[in-house]
Amino acid sequence: MSNVWRRHRGWITPAIFILPAIVLFGVVIVASSLQSVWISLHEWDGFGPMQWIGLGNYEELFADPQFYTSLKNNVIWLVIFMLAPPLGLGIALLVNQQIKGMRIVKSLFFVPLVLASVAVGVVFTWVYTPQFGLLALLFSAFGASAPALLSDENLVTFAVVFAALWPQIAFCMVLYLAGLNSLSEDLIGAGRVDGARGWNMLRHVVLPQLTQVSFIAIAITAIGALRSFDMISVMTQGGPFGSSSVLAYQMYEQSIFSYRFGYGAAIATILFLIMLVFIVWYLNRIMRAEDRSA
Amino acid sequence: MSSLQLRNIEKNYGNYHALRGINLDVAPGEFIVMVGPSGCGKSTLLKSIAGLEPITSGTMIINGRDVTRAEPGERGIAMVFQSYALYPHMSVAENMGFGLRMAKRPKPEIDAAVARAAKILRLTDQLDKLPRQLSGGQRQRVAIGRAITRAPEVFLFDEPLSNLDAALRTQMRVELSTLHAELGATMVYVTHDQVEAMTMASRIVVLNQGRIEQVGSPLDLYRNPDNFFVAGFLGAPRMNFFEASVVALEEGWVRVSNPGAGVFSIALRPGARLEVGDTVKVGVRPEAFHLAEEDDGLAASVRLVEHLGRETIVYADATPLLSVGSDTGTSNVTIHLPDIVGLAAGASIRIAFDPDQAYLFGGPDDQTLSPPKASAI
Repeated sequence: MSNVWRRHRGWITPAIFILPAIVLFGVVIVASSLQSVWISLHEWDGFGPMQWIGLGNYEELFADPQFYTSLKNNVIWLVIFMLAPPLGLGIALLVNQQIKGMRIVKSLFFVPLVLASVAVGVVFTWVYTPQFGLLALLFSAFGASAPALLSDENLVTFAVVFAALWPQIAFCMVLYLAGLNSLSEDLIGAGRVDGARGWNMLRHVVLPQLTQVSFIAIAITAIGALRSFDMISVMTQGGPFGSSSVLAYQMYEQSIFSYRFGYGAAIATILFLIMLVFIVWYLNRIMRAEDRSA
Repeated sequence: MSSLQLRNIEKNYGNYHALRGINLDVAPGEFIVMVGPSGCGKSTLLKSIAGLEPITSGTMIINGRDVTRAEPGERGIAMVFQSYALYPHMSVAENMGFGLRMAKRPKPEIDAAVARAAKILRLTDQLDKLPRQLSGGQRQRVAIGRAITRAPEVFLFDEPLSNLDAALRTQMRVELSTLHAELGATMVYVTHDQVEAMTMASRIVVLNQGRIEQVGSPLDLYRNPDNFFVAGFLGAPRMNFFEASVVALEEGWVRVSNPGAGVFSIALRPGARLEVGDTVKVGVRPEAFHLAEEDDGLAASVRLVEHLGRETIVYADATPLLSVGSDTGTSNVTIHLPDIVGLAAGASIRIAFDPDQAYLFGGPDDQTLSPPKASAI
């Protein structure tokens, strides 16, 4: 017995440690993803028997104007969310200064991270409320009346994205603050001796040391934009008339409210494929970075 | 005109005085080595000269220009860091040319300066590589090359060789000395390695607790340390010290007594103030000891013998010759013999020293009280 153990412990020990994660990941992620794909090939109301319809759900989806609205909104989310990493970096550089009272400012910027995104959504819904909201007060101070952002089908997505951007910027700021704290002091010193200041220092000495952080910030922001759901659910329920819906919300709506689990699963599968692009890019970068350091 | 002048440099971190009243004039082309124990302020002083650490008060002048408040890039200095601090994403050529690029020099001029530095440092074949593709010694040379291309008034080195292995360190030491001779540039070099200090310096600056203890040529400091600290700091193996009390004073001489060494006379420097009953420290370099006859010198027992080939270092316990700070009652005496000696641990020997070769330290700051010794060269 002990002989067997001694001969195999080289792989048994790591296997035992990894096993819980593998089981959990297998059941919660891999198995349910595969099952989703399987369901997407069926007509199913969530209770009764599933009926095989092949690619029927996908054919319907690609002919559904709501799908393209959701897809377009996801693109809007993605593009505007990409402001979060540079803005987060800017704020991180600002609050990283050694100035008295900066710790309080830092904690203020940190606040949205502590709030549940549902709370952020509710707060912004109030801000946007015509006549009573903060925005309306702001507009009336200039003698104008605020647009009803959440009921304007052309502006509603931007209004929601703007609300969601706030915690995302805070998140990127925290990532960059951590990165700034691990900058090599000697390298900064070398840059100063070489006469690099301001933008040149940032561009040639600081930013190259933050590439890993930037890449994590961009990847997480992209995935955050694609899986956006909670803010839409709280602020608009996809409305008015589905004009602020995104793929994740459309999937939820179809499955839960319309009892079309097969159709919802098809949307989920398409969303997964889109995310896969970013995930593959992310993994590729991680593995290349590991190869380099090895 | 001096290349670098430091006037009353003070640096405080809150209540901690990192640098106190530093005054130093460095002539053009000098190779100044700053040594001292950890925390003595040598690295802080170097970073202050570079402008990377602000100073509390004082004035710095480089090549006649007051740079006390100037940015590091505007001081006419270049610095080589202990960690090399090469930009990891830039090629060797870009690393070396970065300073000139920041100074907005035309590209042909940068390329020429980089090529010239690369040739001096034998890096011509490595110019397109990234720092991580280079060995430790090559990285070190790139860091030096980056300094050379800037053609600074003063080169600053912060323990540049401490990350290299012993063989490479010896080689780079010689290369740096050669480079200094070729460029004829002013260099300020910080190290804790006294072999580097002794071999490379035109002048050594010994720092202790933020103060300059002594400045002078390596052999001068070795032969004529100003005080107890410098005497103990320079020289490997370290100088032996023991306490003695003054029993009699004569014109130019003092008679001291030590329980093990007995009573003997040491020459006194003119103007030295001592009184009978004062406690003084006697210092004897390991090479000033010799093995004595049966009935001469003092008894010691050998603890360890190091055979270095041509020389022998003997560590012995001598009772009751008390070393300063010893709490065991016995003292460790280090003896450096210039030839091969057939001794083994446990052997009983007798050792003696020539009082002319001994140093005497006393007074409030443990100043050297024995007269200056003639320099060997």
